[in-house]
Amino acid sequence: MRSFLARRLLQAVPVLLLVTFLVFALMLAIPGDPARAFIGPGEALDEEQLQLIRERHHLDEPVIVQYLIWLGNVLQGDFGRSTQNMRPVAEELGGRALVTLQFGLAAWILAVLVGVPAGIASAVYRGKPIDYAATVVSIGGVAIPNFWLGIMAIRLFGVGRGWLPSQGYVSLFDDPLQSLRHMVLPAFALGVTSCALIMRQSRSAMLEVLAQDYLRTSRARGSRERTVIWSHALRNALLPVITILGLQTGRIFAGAIVIETLFGIPGTGQYIVQAIFARDFLVVQAAVLLMAVAVLAANLVTDLACAWLDPRIKFGD
Amino acid sequence: MSIVPLQSPSRLSVSAPSLLLAGLLTFVVACAPESRADRLESAGLKARPPAVGGPRYGGHLRVGHSLEPTSLDAILGRSGADAYFWRQIFDQLVDADPQLNPRPETSLATSWEIATDPDSITFHLREGVVFHDGTPFNAHAVKANIERILDPATVATPRASLAVIEGVEVIDEYTVRFDLAGPWGAGFGMLADRGGVMSSPAAIEALGADYGWSPSGTGPFRVKEVITGTLVHFVRNEDYWGRDEHGNQLPYLDEVTVRVIRDETVRAAALRTGEIDVTYLPYKDVSTFERDERVRIETMPGGGIALTLVFNVDKPPLDDVNVRLAIAHAVDPTVINRAIFFDRAIEADAGMWPVGSWVHEPDGERPTYDVDKARQYLAKAGRESGLEFTAVTHHNPLLVSSAEVVRAMLKKIGIHMDIDVLSSGPATERFNHGQEYPMFITSWSRYPEPDWMASLAYKSDGYYNPGNVLRPDVDELVELGASLYDNEARKQVYIELNRTVLGEAWFTPLLYGVTFAAAPGRVRNLDQLMGWDGKMNFATIWLEE
Repeated sequence: MRSFLARRLLQAVPVLLLVTFLVFALMLAIPGDPARAFIGPGEALDEEQLQLIRERHHLDEPVIVQYLIWLGNVLQGDFGRSTQNMRPVAEELGGRALVTLQFGLAAWILAVLVGVPAGIASAVYRGKPIDYAATVVSIGGVAIPNFWLGIMAIRLFGVGRGWLPSQGYVSLFDDPLQSLRHMVLPAFALGVTSCALIMRQSRSAMLEVLAQDYLRTSRARGSRERTVIWSHALRNALLPVITILGLQTGRIFAGAIVIETLFGIPGTGQYIVQAIFARDFLVVQAAVLLMAVAVLAANLVTDLACAWLDPRIKFGD
Repeated sequence: MSIVPLQSPSRLSVSAPSLLLAGLLTFVVACAPESRADRLESAGLKARPPAVGGPRYGGHLRVGHSLEPTSLDAILGRSGADAYFWRQIFDQLVDADPQLNPRPETSLATSWEIATDPDSITFHLREGVVFHDGTPFNAHAVKANIERILDPATVATPRASLAVIEGVEVIDEYTVRFDLAGPWGAGFGMLADRGGVMSSPAAIEALGADYGWSPSGTGPFRVKEVITGTLVHFVRNEDYWGRDEHGNQLPYLDEVTVRVIRDETVRAAALRTGEIDVTYLPYKDVSTFERDERVRIETMPGGGIALTLVFNVDKPPLDDVNVRLAIAHAVDPTVINRAIFFDRAIEADAGMWPVGSWVHEPDGERPTYDVDKARQYLAKAGRESGLEFTAVTHHNPLLVSSAEVVRAMLKKIGIHMDIDVLSSGPATERFNHGQEYPMFITSWSRYPEPDWMASLAYKSDGYYNPGNVLRPDVDELVELGASLYDNEARKQVYIELNRTVLGEAWFTPLLYGVTFAAAPGRVRNLDQLMGWDGKMNFATIWLEE
């Protein structure tokens, strides 16, 4: 187990280096003078100021040198300051990551709380109206893009009915009730696709398990149906679901980019979009690093969770 | 071999998760603090309130704005939209009225004297003004602020506009002299913008790089809280020196929150539901709100250039003036206004100084829609058989649609135009500095000081002059315009400049913008919301109960 963890962590290092270097190189490959990207359209800097920006940010150096300078600073815990708003990147990103985490978690919980039971119900009542209904809903959930769902949710519940706020963010620590109200629509828009995938996966995994001999044996021994399903079938059916859940971390980060812009939520998604347009290298780099770490960590946790659920899974040494 | 079933660590009844979720959702929705009807009423949207007496102190104004600030330190901000935020925090050395006449009663300088030979301006400063951090505003503060802008290491955005200042001398506590390289008629306009913003030198020194988000000015509001990307929360500056015409202390409002809502449809919806009190409307929503008697709309004609063609006069095939004039004559702004701007913009009748600018002068000779003339110019250029080029525009639905219409109009005279759509930063940069496109279809902000446009876009070395073609006659006029102190004489210079810019089709402005500010009737003094540059100003806004 310990050597498995050590190996996985070591494997993460080249992945992180590769991801950050590729993004760094791509950002520099965008045509145009990055020093001029420091100012918005309609504003002007003189040549002396532009040169100063180039020197301060090492924009005159070769890509690899710029990357190594960035890497050296990051290893010392210095993520630099955003060129857009001159704020420390680590501080800004940290605050925004918490916001994205809050929405991501809400979407994730929503997806699990609805997706798993619906998938199970769909399998247990296979061929019944509940199965058809769940199937239609889940196919719709996968097919409908979340930005469209977001717009519809804003129109229907935010503007149309005025039930829920459609814009902005309130911290859970400042006003828990308002925070929850602000979370409902974006979490719904963000979570629906994951929910649909989890529903599909739970259904097929459950169907497979329900056909196993040991369940027939269990029923023959006189176990109640509830015990058969919840105690014996579910845990075995959960393995593929957990794997899907792990994969959803990346999807939720990707979805956050659209959903945060739509709902005016100051999270990492919105931050990275603006940073890309403004060619704010340090912000993009730090955000990519954070996302890569999050996805790698989610994969690791998924593997550990699967092993915990199924002792037959052994960590190869 | 059969597989031994695993025991679940916990048991849940089938309906528990869904019950839990349903319960949570119901709780969250049901706990809404007030109904929509209540909110409409509390936002003053029930009915137009009757006009009552004088202004009332207090209240919290909630504003929706499309962009977040790049900095609250006015001179470090990288976007013109920052003014919506820093105008609440700072006062300028010289404020201006909408016609850009200096207005000493709202300025930090109460009077000034202009000297020539050597050139200088001596400012007499308002006494008893304090910054938000409690330090006094005086001549030393002015010197520190101007020198900070002029220091290249600051990378201050208004540096180029103050380049004529050679030194700042403190004469006494409340008198300061700017020593100039030459006469500086444009100076008052430049000092009314962010170049003349006065920050607390003590706060700048104490906070360093963090000053940008904890600014300390002398203005009507202090910054209470900033949530980047979301909102800036201002509170009343109890020590503000500003007074209204009856001598009442300004501002009237206790608090202002400017919330960033990027999507214009969502912004308009937020106004409708009472989530915000004031916002600028997109053209498409103006009619809807005009029919809504609960909402008042104030307009500012000439709020920038809504649509203009900008040419790189050095980039083939548009390096030929006849080709450019053919294009300028082939485009019909009436159709574009009707089809895309909901007939709300104003057809351009002059140059890049729109209606509302003090140098605006209708020009009967500027190119107007005339297809026959367009064909004649094309023939003059020897291009009767047509030509091809690629124009650039940026990701703004109005501009992209306009570009499509322009393309269709040019096709009629045999010009095939492709369109590259980029985001605004790269489009601006690749057109102006990359020399990649002969034509840019874009909009332009409202900059009331005419030298801003002239120096940056018309002068040979201007930042927004893509061709950088050397034109000593134009450069001379630009410099003359910036130097003259007499506004009437200045205006004549800019009219003369327009003859080249329009006559040789460097720029062909098609539509002047109109700014529409909308608010429920309880928001009073809405007509004073838009400052001389069209940016919002809350010092004299008040709320009815």
